[in-house]
Amino acid sequence: MTDTALQAPARPVAFRLRFGTGWQRPLGHGLMILLSLLSVFPIYWMILTSLRPENEILSTRIWPDAATLDNYAYALSAIPMLRMLVNTFVVSAVVTAIQILTGILAGYGFSRWRFRGASLLMGAVALTWLVPLQVVMIPNYLLVARLGMIDTLGALILPHTASAFAILLLVQAMRSFPSEVYEAARMDGANHAHILWHIVVPNLRGTIASLAILVFISTWNEYFWPLLLTRSAQNSVVQIGLQMFITAEGTQWGPLMAASTLASLPILAIYLVLQRQVIASFMKSGLR
Amino acid sequence: MKPIVVSAALAGLTLGAAQAQTMPAEITEPVTITWYNYNLASAGNGADATRHLIDLFEAAHPNIHVEGVPVPPQNITTRVQADLVAGQQVDLVQVTFNALGFAAEALGAHALEDIVPAAELAANFEGMVQNGLDLGRIDGRTYALAYTFSTPVLYYNADIFRQVGLDPENPPQTWAQIAEAGRVIRDHSDHIPLASGMFGPSAGDWLMQGVLRSNNGGVINADRTAMTFADPASLEAVQMLRDLAQEGILVNLDVTSQLESMAAGNAAMYLQTSAVQGYLIRGAEGNYDLRATTMPGFGDLRPRPNNSGSGLAIFSQDPARQRAAWELMKFVTSNEGYTIITRDIGYLPLRMAVVESPEYLAGWVSEHPLLQPNLQQLSYLEPWTPMPGPNYVQIATTMMDAIEMAVFGDNDDVAGILTAAQTQTQGLLP
Repeated sequence: MTDTALQAPARPVAFRLRFGTGWQRPLGHGLMILLSLLSVFPIYWMILTSLRPENEILSTRIWPDAATLDNYAYALSAIPMLRMLVNTFVVSAVVTAIQILTGILAGYGFSRWRFRGASLLMGAVALTWLVPLQVVMIPNYLLVARLGMIDTLGALILPHTASAFAILLLVQAMRSFPSEVYEAARMDGANHAHILWHIVVPNLRGTIASLAILVFISTWNEYFWPLLLTRSAQNSVVQIGLQMFITAEGTQWGPLMAASTLASLPILAIYLVLQRQVIASFMKSGLR
Repeated sequence: MKPIVVSAALAGLTLGAAQAQTMPAEITEPVTITWYNYNLASAGNGADATRHLIDLFEAAHPNIHVEGVPVPPQNITTRVQADLVAGQQVDLVQVTFNALGFAAEALGAHALEDIVPAAELAANFEGMVQNGLDLGRIDGRTYALAYTFSTPVLYYNADIFRQVGLDPENPPQTWAQIAEAGRVIRDHSDHIPLASGMFGPSAGDWLMQGVLRSNNGGVINADRTAMTFADPASLEAVQMLRDLAQEGILVNLDVTSQLESMAAGNAAMYLQTSAVQGYLIRGAEGNYDLRATTMPGFGDLRPRPNNSGSGLAIFSQDPARQRAAWELMKFVTSNEGYTIITRDIGYLPLRMAVVESPEYLAGWVSEHPLLQPNLQQLSYLEPWTPMPGPNYVQIATTMMDAIEMAVFGDNDDVAGILTAAQTQTQGLLP
C-alpha cells in the first residue's frame, strides 16, 4: 500500500514531462538540471579542494591549475584513515543488523500480541525517541566504563542495539500486514517464529531495506558518542578522524577534503547501488 | 552533567588530595600515567611533536609509560569531568586557560605547591619567564605550567600596504593608527582592512580581555568577584571597536572566515593569536608578503597582551603517579621540551634560554622574523583570566555575545547592552 502511495505522484510528473507542451518541457528540464548542479556542486568542491596543492587551497577558481594527490597521501599517513573506515563500517554494519533484529522482534511482539501494559510499554519506547543523545551520553558512558569497555568498538555498538525509530517503523509495517495471512498460517499450524521469519520478514523486505539504509547512514555519521568514548585513533571512527584536521591553529582543508571524499565513498556506493531504496526509505520515514 | 553532581562526586577526590601522601623522590616501579592532550586529537605537527616528546620522555624514564588520551580542546574539561566520575585514571591534563579556574576549583587539579617539594619546585621554576609562570596561577598558587601558549599579534599583508601607499616598515602600533590605515585601505582597495579573531563561537574571550585591558579596562576584577566589562575604560574600548565596524574597517565575519581571508591574501590586517602563524605562512607562501607586529595599544598606554593556549595540570591522586606526571611536566617544560614545542608546533617557550641559546633555537629564531613580536610581548604578557565557578563558560559566552552585539549590532546604545549583560553575568558568578 505504501509503495503504491509512493509511486502515485511520480506518474503525473512523468506524464507532464513527456507530454508537456512547448516551453514547459525545456523549462522543467532546465530547472531539474539547475537543481542537480546545485546539489552536486558541494561534492564537486570537496573533490576539487582535495586535489588542490597547499598554496592554492583557498583559491576560488573552479578548476585547479595543477591537481595533486598529496592531500590524499597526507590524510592516509597523518591519521589511520583505512583503519577508521574499517571500524566505522564494522560498527555501522553491526548496529544496523542488531537494530533490525531487535526491531523485528519488538515489532512483531507489539503488533501481534495483546498483553497487559502493551500501550504503556509502546508509549515508553516512543518516548525514548524524544530523549536527546546528549542527555543519556554521560550515564551510558559511566555504564560502559564500569563494564571496562572504554575505547572498544563494542562500546560504540552497545547503546545502539535497539532504537525506538526501528521499532516504531516495523510495528507500523507489521500492523498493516494483512491479518488474513497470519490467520491462515496459524491454521496451517505455524508457530510465531515460523510466521515471523518465513512469512512476515520476507514480505517486509522493502521496509527492512529502507530501515537498514537509514540506520547504516545514521551510524556512519555518528560523532558525539565516539568522541566521548574512544581514547586512540586506531579504535576510533572516521568522523573523529575528519575532526582531527580541524584545529585551533587553522583547518587543514586539503587533507580534510581528501579524507571527507574517502569517507563519503561507502555512502556514495550505497546511493549508487540502492538509489531507489534510499529515496524510498527517506520518503517512508520522513527526513530524520 | 550538573556541576553540583560533579562537585559532590569529586568531593571525595579533593578530600583525598588533601590527605594524600607526599610523592616519592623517584619512580622505582613501572607506572603508567594518562596524558589528556588536545594536540594528540589533531592531525599534523601538534600530534607528531607530542608523540615525539612522549617517546623522548619514555626513553629517559624507562619506568614510566605515558598513555596519551586525545581530546579536542573544547571537550577537554567535560571529558575529564566524565572520566573522574567514571573512576578513570586522570593524571596529567592539557587545560585551556579559560577552564583553569574550573579545573582547580571543581575538578580537583593540584596546586604544584601542594604536591611537589618546595625546593624542587623552586629549582624547576628557575629560568622560566615570571609572566609565563603567572599564566597558570590562581590566587598565587600554581595549578598549571604554561605548555602551548601564544600571544596576540597584528599580522599584515605588506603587499596591500604598498599597493595603497602605506609603509609596511612602519605598521600601526595603536588602534588610532589602525583606524587611519584602515581608512586608506578601505578607500583605495577592495581588501578587508581589518580582520580579527575576537568574535565568534570558537573565539573565546581571551583576545577581548587583552584589548579591554590595553585601555586599562577589563572583563572581571582582580579577585574575580565582579564583572567589569561595562565599566568606563572597557566601554570606551568596545565603543572604539564599534566605530571601526561602523566605518567599514573592522569586518564582521565568523572567526574561521577571517583567518582564511588573511591566509588567502584578502585581508590587510589581522589581529589574532600567534598560534595561527603556521597556517598563515602556508597561505602566504608564493602569494604575498606576510608580516607581523605587536598587539596595538590605546594612545600612549602600553598594550597589555595576554595569552591563549593551555597549561598542564596534575590530577593524580596516587603519589607515584603524581611523581610520574610531575616528571613528564618537568620534561615537556624543560629547554629540550620547549625547543620541540616552539619549533615543531609554533608556540612560545616559557624559558628564554630556548630562544637565546645557540644550543637550542637562537639560530632558528633569527630565521623566523614573524616570531619576534611574540617574543617581545613575553616581557609584559598578562594572564588570560578564567571566569570563576561552574558557570564559567556561560559567563564568557554571555559577555562575548553582548560585546559582539555592541560592536556589530544595530543598537547604538553600547553602554546599555554591556551594562545589561554585566548585570546578567554578575548573577552567574559563584
